[in-house]
Amino acid sequence: MRGRALRFSPVALLLLAGCTGTQSALDPAGKDASVLADLFWVLLIGATVLWLAVNGLFFYVTRIEPRSLSRRLAETLVIGGGIVFPFFLLSGLLAYALSIMPDQRLEGTGVQIRVTGEQWWWRVEYIPEPGAEPIVAANEIRLPVDHRTEIKLGADKFIHSFWIPALAGKMDMFPGRETRLAVEPTKVGVYRGQCAEFCGEAHALMAFQAVVMEQDEFAAWLEKERQDAVMPASDLARQGEAIFLEEGCGACHTVRGTEARGPAGPDLTHVGSRLSLGAAVLPSDREAFADWVRHTKRIKPGVKMPPYVHLSDEKLSALSAYLEGLK
Amino acid sequence: MRAFLKATLVWAILAAIGAVLVVGLGLYNVSARQGHLPGVSWVLHTAYKNAVWLRAPSEEEVPDLTPPSLVDLGQGHYENACAFCHAMPGQSRAETALSMLPAPPHITEAVADWEPRHMFWIVKNGVKMSGMPAWPSQRRDDDVWAVVAFLTAVKRGERHGEAQTELPAGGDLAGETGSLPLAPAAAVYRDQCLSCHGRDGFAGGNVFIPRLDTLPAAYVAASLQAYRSGARQSGIMQQAASQLSDPQIAALAAYIANQSRDRLAEHEVGNLDPELVSRGDVLAHGGDEKANIPSCVSCHGPASSPRSDHFPPLAGQSEVFLRDQLMLWKSGRRGGTDRALMMHEAIPDLTKADMLALAQYYASLPPSR
Repeated sequence: MRGRALRFSPVALLLLAGCTGTQSALDPAGKDASVLADLFWVLLIGATVLWLAVNGLFFYVTRIEPRSLSRRLAETLVIGGGIVFPFFLLSGLLAYALSIMPDQRLEGTGVQIRVTGEQWWWRVEYIPEPGAEPIVAANEIRLPVDHRTEIKLGADKFIHSFWIPALAGKMDMFPGRETRLAVEPTKVGVYRGQCAEFCGEAHALMAFQAVVMEQDEFAAWLEKERQDAVMPASDLARQGEAIFLEEGCGACHTVRGTEARGPAGPDLTHVGSRLSLGAAVLPSDREAFADWVRHTKRIKPGVKMPPYVHLSDEKLSALSAYLEGLK
Repeated sequence: MRAFLKATLVWAILAAIGAVLVVGLGLYNVSARQGHLPGVSWVLHTAYKNAVWLRAPSEEEVPDLTPPSLVDLGQGHYENACAFCHAMPGQSRAETALSMLPAPPHITEAVADWEPRHMFWIVKNGVKMSGMPAWPSQRRDDDVWAVVAFLTAVKRGERHGEAQTELPAGGDLAGETGSLPLAPAAAVYRDQCLSCHGRDGFAGGNVFIPRLDTLPAAYVAASLQAYRSGARQSGIMQQAASQLSDPQIAALAAYIANQSRDRLAEHEVGNLDPELVSRGDVLAHGGDEKANIPSCVSCHGPASSPRSDHFPPLAGQSEVFLRDQLMLWKSGRRGGTDRALMMHEAIPDLTKADMLALAQYYASLPPSR
């Protein structure tokens, strides 16, 4: 018995470890997520108690007191335990679950974010006020802490689902239809979001980081994000910029403040300041940029960006220096 | 019954021994000087004719074969690849060709019996055991039709013997008398390229043939390599590129890129629809976010900063050529250099209307380097 408990414990620890971290609905860092986590625990505890009661009863009548019950007791058990009790219990749970829905649907205020599911990345636009020119970014979502932010969701060609488990519930994204969601983070930190609807080849590799910042930091960050790209700081980066334009990267990518105005791929104006690359599949450093540009399809099967195998090592390192410098 | 079976067995054994002797000991004379055995020619020829009739595409699949430019393209290739056996109209066949068995028919004779759809099948498929080769690419029916357009023009008596391009008297072609290293390239150009691409690579304004005078050397070299390896297909260009060595390709590309730019100003825009041109302009510059279309100018110009020499600038190419190439990309049949991957990603979301607009826009631009 002791041996079994020992063998079991590492597995149990692993399972529990899965409940914490940056992508866990059970380790909430947002108002909606913590309500959902409470709901989960209430339902889990309720279900456990019920399961134990029902099975305990079975055990009792088959193994402990296996004799026929009086008709009166049997009817009380069937009607009481089978109809009256579940009616009140389920009604209570339903009322509780329904009661949290209006709050989940509360609209956000302030800067609005529009997220579009693409193949297989996230187009992210910050709209400071209604009607204002959106500030375009990609594959990372920044949010102010203790503030309810409205997120409008759409999709390019396929159905995706937007989910930051630590912050809120999930919401599907459809081509040609707008859905919405609001998040209200309560803890500063970096969380992970993931496409939660099978959308195609690179579905599992379609993730992003959600960065929750202090409100004034967020405002400063957004102001910086609004600016055009910084000028390349070194000779190598300047060469990289020329290569970026020469090799036609600007056909798909925009770097505001340069000739590159391509609309089809992620905006790279401040790509160097993001925490990850390729929709959270690689870290954001110079080696990763080079690796990505040369091996796109190997790193992320199904990605639309062609692998630039024809770029020499020198060109690739200049290009990486330029991209990394786009802070 | 037993006797019959026995006799059959004996005959079968004798026939097998005969066959082994004929094949194994080389008794059958394959000499082309010896004609076929009596009746064999008739059987073969009849089988050939009936096979063509059975398999030729229907009348509806025949495109418009009348544009003189298409006829010129077909003629340019015919001069390079076909004339050795079938001769130009009004000229006679080479003695060597006449010594083949069967002797290849003279062009005027060859076209007499067939409608365009039959000619298409014969040119595309070739004829087994006759010396008539199949078309080198099975993905480019469009260039087979160019040859058929020329054959049809011959049949109608519209093309006689005149060479399409006047070959310059010695020393006239750029580089032929100039610096020494270019001279061999000039000769290759004269033999392989001139009949279609014309002097200075301008193609005489033929809308089916790309002008080369706007292309950088690196792109020309990479494209010739792609034709030679079969990565890019075209029966016409593969024929021209297949025998070039690496140094020849490099020299030829340099020769083409260094040709005079005198013809650069020559640019016939033809009938363009201003509305389509401006739609193409917007699409080429801005792409389309919703439709996932990248901007064309980022690789193909026009742009204010330099572009890689591995991308072809498109300004000043003909609308017809551009449209046909875009359709080939869209159909997935267009290969190319190692940059072709990028076009394969860029093309799927373009509609037919987009492609027409883009072709018109680039055709409207003045050619430039």
